[in-house]
Amino acid sequence: MTNDRVSQVAADAQASAAPREKKVSLGWIRSASVVAGVALLFIVFSVLTSSFYAPSNLLDILLQSSINAMIAVGMTLVVMARGIDLSVGSVVGLTSMITASLLPQNFLLGIVAGIVLGVLCGLINGILIAKLKLPDFIVTLGMLSIYRGAALIFTDGKPIYGIDATFRAIFAGDVGGIPTPVILALAIALLAFLVVRYTAFGEQIIAVGGNEEAARLAGINIDRVKICVYAISGLLATFAGFVLIGRIGAAEPIGGAGFELQAIGAAVIGGASLFGGEGNPLGALVGALTLGAMQNGLTLLNVPSFWQLVATGVVVIVAVFADQVTRKRR
Amino acid sequence: MQIPNAETPSKPLLQLRGIAKAFAGVQALKGVDFDLRAGEVHALMGENGAGKSTLMKILFGVQPPDSGTIELDGVGEVAIDDPRHALALGIGLVSQEPSLVPQLDVAQNIFLGQTEALGVVPRSQFQARAREILKPLAPRLPVTARVGSLGMAERQVVEIARTLARGGKIIGFDEPTSSLTPAERDGLFALIRQLKSSGKGIIYISHRIPEVYAISDRVTVLRDGRVVASRATQEVSADELINMIAGRRLAEELQHSAKPVVRAGGTEALRLEGISAAGKLHDINLTLRTGEIFGLAGLVGSGRTELARCIFGADRKDAGSVYVNGKPLDLRQPADAKAAGIALIPEDRRKQALVPNMDVERNFGLANFQQYSPSGFLRLKQRRQDIERYIEEMAIRPRRAGVRIRNLSGGNQQKVVIARWLQSGARIFLFDEPTRGIDVGAKFEIHELMRRLAKDGCALLVISSELPEILALCDRVGVMRGGRLVQTIDDCSDLTEDLLMKYASGEVTRS
Repeated sequence: MTNDRVSQVAADAQASAAPREKKVSLGWIRSASVVAGVALLFIVFSVLTSSFYAPSNLLDILLQSSINAMIAVGMTLVVMARGIDLSVGSVVGLTSMITASLLPQNFLLGIVAGIVLGVLCGLINGILIAKLKLPDFIVTLGMLSIYRGAALIFTDGKPIYGIDATFRAIFAGDVGGIPTPVILALAIALLAFLVVRYTAFGEQIIAVGGNEEAARLAGINIDRVKICVYAISGLLATFAGFVLIGRIGAAEPIGGAGFELQAIGAAVIGGASLFGGEGNPLGALVGALTLGAMQNGLTLLNVPSFWQLVATGVVVIVAVFADQVTRKRR
Repeated sequence: MQIPNAETPSKPLLQLRGIAKAFAGVQALKGVDFDLRAGEVHALMGENGAGKSTLMKILFGVQPPDSGTIELDGVGEVAIDDPRHALALGIGLVSQEPSLVPQLDVAQNIFLGQTEALGVVPRSQFQARAREILKPLAPRLPVTARVGSLGMAERQVVEIARTLARGGKIIGFDEPTSSLTPAERDGLFALIRQLKSSGKGIIYISHRIPEVYAISDRVTVLRDGRVVASRATQEVSADELINMIAGRRLAEELQHSAKPVVRAGGTEALRLEGISAAGKLHDINLTLRTGEIFGLAGLVGSGRTELARCIFGADRKDAGSVYVNGKPLDLRQPADAKAAGIALIPEDRRKQALVPNMDVERNFGLANFQQYSPSGFLRLKQRRQDIERYIEEMAIRPRRAGVRIRNLSGGNQQKVVIARWLQSGARIFLFDEPTRGIDVGAKFEIHELMRRLAKDGCALLVISSELPEILALCDRVGVMRGGRLVQTIDDCSDLTEDLLMKYASGEVTRS
């Protein structure tokens, strides 16, 4: 990935005269500032607290970031196709409630039902956006409310306690000391990266996000591409929900509230452009880790969680601003 | 630069010095000087891509120059931030596509953006002011008419009025006659003369030589981002002007454009029967044969692009059938047309054909996923080999497949788009303004390529607003007007630009 970046920049620089280099260097500043920001975060927290740098805490950060990382990978694909999915947090809540309620009756049914429902939620989003040409922001904002409402209606607002032990071992256990959520998140991001880089679907996502009309006139089925990315986003939100209830040992209808902002933040920090056509699922991992490390460090510093919300919001807006500044210049 | 014209005052209204601007690595302007006096019409000419529109964009604040100065009479040196600032400085532009709000009425458009300054002035009051401004220009134009309901000529008047309402002294016209009928054009010229006599400075951009002689006092020619010459119009002959605009390349182009022998009609490739689309196309019947280049001429807005998009399934048609190789096909979306072997090379490359962030190879592959990834995974090596072959054969520069396409010149971008469709195996090509914004050299290469396609037995439909292009390329020509195919000319040997123009504007209906 780094190699490719380098050759891309070299090619760009050769292909063009002086003014183009300005833009390339802006892109470099952007990537470099993410790396520098993460490094600074680690240094500051390591200096200010004794426990931040401890291996057990670093592992904790990985674990805490993995839920957001999974959602952020889906969000990255959606954003690359120039969409947005605000409903992911509610999908987490709804699917985890359904799975939690079915697990005691039939283990497999519980998992399959959750997955099917998650994909279905994404399909509904995608169909409304692609076929009815409704604005993605409004559709997924409406669905944020509808899916959350459905989760609350399902048990009249009550949580479901007692998650199956096998289920917890799969989605929130560990293999050789490495938590399964971390392995899962890594596998998902890697798979998504390969899809983006080496498949027709991946290129079609970039084409639809980069220039929808050109993609359509090249004969690409843009509706299908859009519907697919929302379905994937729903699926990955479901997995995140599995990890969430696995870790807590209970499912709450309000589970996953606010996850959309975290996921959008991680995607953008990781290099996804809200203007579409650019993004990297592996970058989403870095983004999720950045936000996770920040929240972890602030907790260690005894900063109240309310302030952490403020900090997260600031970081996300700054990341989007940086994206705008580096991409809009022509 | 001293013009022996007693009427022109010595101090120019506007003085541009050393204007330079580069885009995407291409130096569009290389130190251009340009001046404009009160009471003169100064024509600006040059090929597409010579830098005319870039110069205008800089003057009207759409883009800042990289270097150079703009000096206004009575103001001094200025840095123009945006079009609104330009208007405030008394510089207005009548562009090819008017920048008016169709939902608002004439008076509202004239004072758009000034309303805060007017405060809570009652509507009747600024309607009265609008009437006053319009009186000498177009006394019969109602100020309460919605701009959306007006014709092109009337919209131009509103744009002029908008500039005058702000005390404007400098008005630029960018190809103002491209969508006007001859009668409307005469009206516009009368208007320009009137503006001139009231002491305004007019910049007139056009590539139509007769118009420049009819209206301008001075002419400046740009080529490759430099001023070739700036002379009094009457002192320059038309031949000189052509040479200045095209440079020595024109000779080559003319030499090579010797029309191929009319090929004995091939078999039917594409047949259109009764194609209609509400308000845009009316009962189009047309047959395209293999091995021929069929030109579609007409004014902007006559329905040519709409027809191509309808055939390609990009826009919906309301009635009619499309036959490909004699078989009726239901083409509902571009993917269907692609499967039937039809290619569309659209008029606006940047907006309709390219994904600017993707490299050359990926842009090439956009219409060829079936070929390169039957299993879902891309055969990258195969694709790389293919694009490299096209890069060699079509002389695409730079020679690397990994360069982002937005860094290529217009001509090279267009070659990549054509390569994309060649690879898709298309046999019917719909070219919409194939050489717009492309320099003369690449234009010639693309013309050669199109002729070769026809020779290989493909069928080509070519839409062009450049009549010489139509005359040089096409075996048969159709003329569209108001959404109808009003004329089909099977024998182009006696066809002239003038005659085509008359068909297109409706002055002549029978040959």
